Amino acid sequence: MIDWMGFIVVLVAALTGTVLVVGFYALGLKMLVRAGRVPVVIPAAFTDAITVLTPAEIKSAAKKAAKAARKNPLTPMQKRVALIAAYCCFTVCGLAILFGIYLIVPALHGG
Amino acid sequence: MPVDITLIIVLVIALALFFDFTNGFHDTANAMATPIATGALKPKVAVGLAAILNLVGAFLSTEVAKTISGGIIKEGDEGVLITPELIFAGLIGAIVWNMVTWLLGLPSSSSHALFGGLIGAALVGFGIGAIDFGVLMSKVILPAVLAPLTAGLIAFVATKLAYGVTRRYDGKPDGRSGFRYGQVFSSSLVALAHGTNDAQKTMGVITLALISVGLLAPDSGPPFWVVVVCAVAIALGTYMGGWRIIKTLGTGLTDVKPAQGFAAETSTAATILASSHLGFALSTTQVASGSVIGSGIGRRGSTVRWKTAGRIAIGWLFTLPAAGAVGALAALVAHLGPWGVILDAVVGIGTIVFIFLWSRRDTVGHHNVVSEVAASGEAVVIAPEIEPKKVAK
Repeated sequence: MIDWMGFIVVLVAALTGTVLVVGFYALGLKMLVRAGRVPVVIPAAFTDAITVLTPAEIKSAAKKAAKAARKNPLTPMQKRVALIAAYCCFTVCGLAILFGIYLIVPALHGG
Repeated sequence: MPVDITLIIVLVIALALFFDFTNGFHDTANAMATPIATGALKPKVAVGLAAILNLVGAFLSTEVAKTISGGIIKEGDEGVLITPELIFAGLIGAIVWNMVTWLLGLPSSSSHALFGGLIGAALVGFGIGAIDFGVLMSKVILPAVLAPLTAGLIAFVATKLAYGVTRRYDGKPDGRSGFRYGQVFSSSLVALAHGTNDAQKTMGVITLALISVGLLAPDSGPPFWVVVVCAVAIALGTYMGGWRIIKTLGTGLTDVKPAQGFAAETSTAATILASSHLGFALSTTQVASGSVIGSGIGRRGSTVRWKTAGRIAIGWLFTLPAAGAVGALAALVAHLGPWGVILDAVVGIGTIVFIFLWSRRDTVGHHNVVSEVAASGEAVVIAPEIEPKKVAK
């Protein structure tokens, strides 16, 4: 017997979870950028998939980020709010990860 | 205990552990291909992390299945009697197919390979009546179609969302490289979930084999040593890293960027967790592959190499029959008695060694999974991506 209802439930649940996590993480990054703290995360290793960065390019990316931060039109208060909002978003993602661990470990949900 | 039963039990345990090992290195890619591809983690660090999480995961969940095939083979009083020979032949089929797909760099489901091997062995021993085709359809074939579609759709939506939210029209830094941190967490979740699910399968196989010869009481759980060796085998396999498959999934299907990688891994994690808790089982490998393709469609300007995707799909199509054919052949030979089993083991090991030696002709390892193209890339000027500008209305 094909459990179509079960499939729909899985689809909806997975979609909701993913959209929540990705959405909040992206929003967190956006807020971080707003607050003038542009994350520049240098790849740990280079692959085909990465447009190769030279040390000079990495430097210029960091410089550009700093410049954008300096030119930030927000007042310090607004920046602080944006930063707090960013951390709130990341907290939501962190909670989602914890919920994932809760689901994975049977001892936690008694399954 | 007669010598031939001791022999076959030892062989089954050894093969089951080797299957666990291949399962580990086959599935490293599901969790770690995209973080490796985007440079979120160094290749060695990524497989090390995945190995530890698989080891931990294996100890977390040890509630093993009561049936070896999840109902595909009619087991129990009225159906097929699960003998060590049947498990043995099934494992040979599964291992050989896992090795072949690894050689070809194809992500394919290890559990489907195991099902295939067992089905083949059961067909030889007990005929077509041994197989419950309804269960086969609803538990293997249909999910194999739905898993990549579901995960692909979710990853597509997530990728669109990730890019949409962080998009800037003024050309200033968008902070998207920050998705690399997120990738570490989302892929770790996938690795942990894998450890709890897949090590358990091997524990189940060994436990059922021990029960079938009366070394364990019926309905007993796995002894502690079984849990330990299974956990170690899957972790070792994961640490070896199926670099060929990582390469296919990480760079072969589409060029993965951090935002995409995060969306894909989150989609994989969410889909697997939802499917294992809401009762519609989907294969991790198929979910992960679908996610990567979905995220490739979702990012503007990225291309999906449909030829590679097609090869993977063909691999899935063949998993059940191919592993089944090998399993059936092994079962035929095993019916000759102890010498048949020994012949099986020798030929099986020979095949594995042959495939391994064949693979040495062009090794793919942590040193070149990140390709030579990137190393020479500093000399190549690559045009910066052009972000869309908002059109004034």
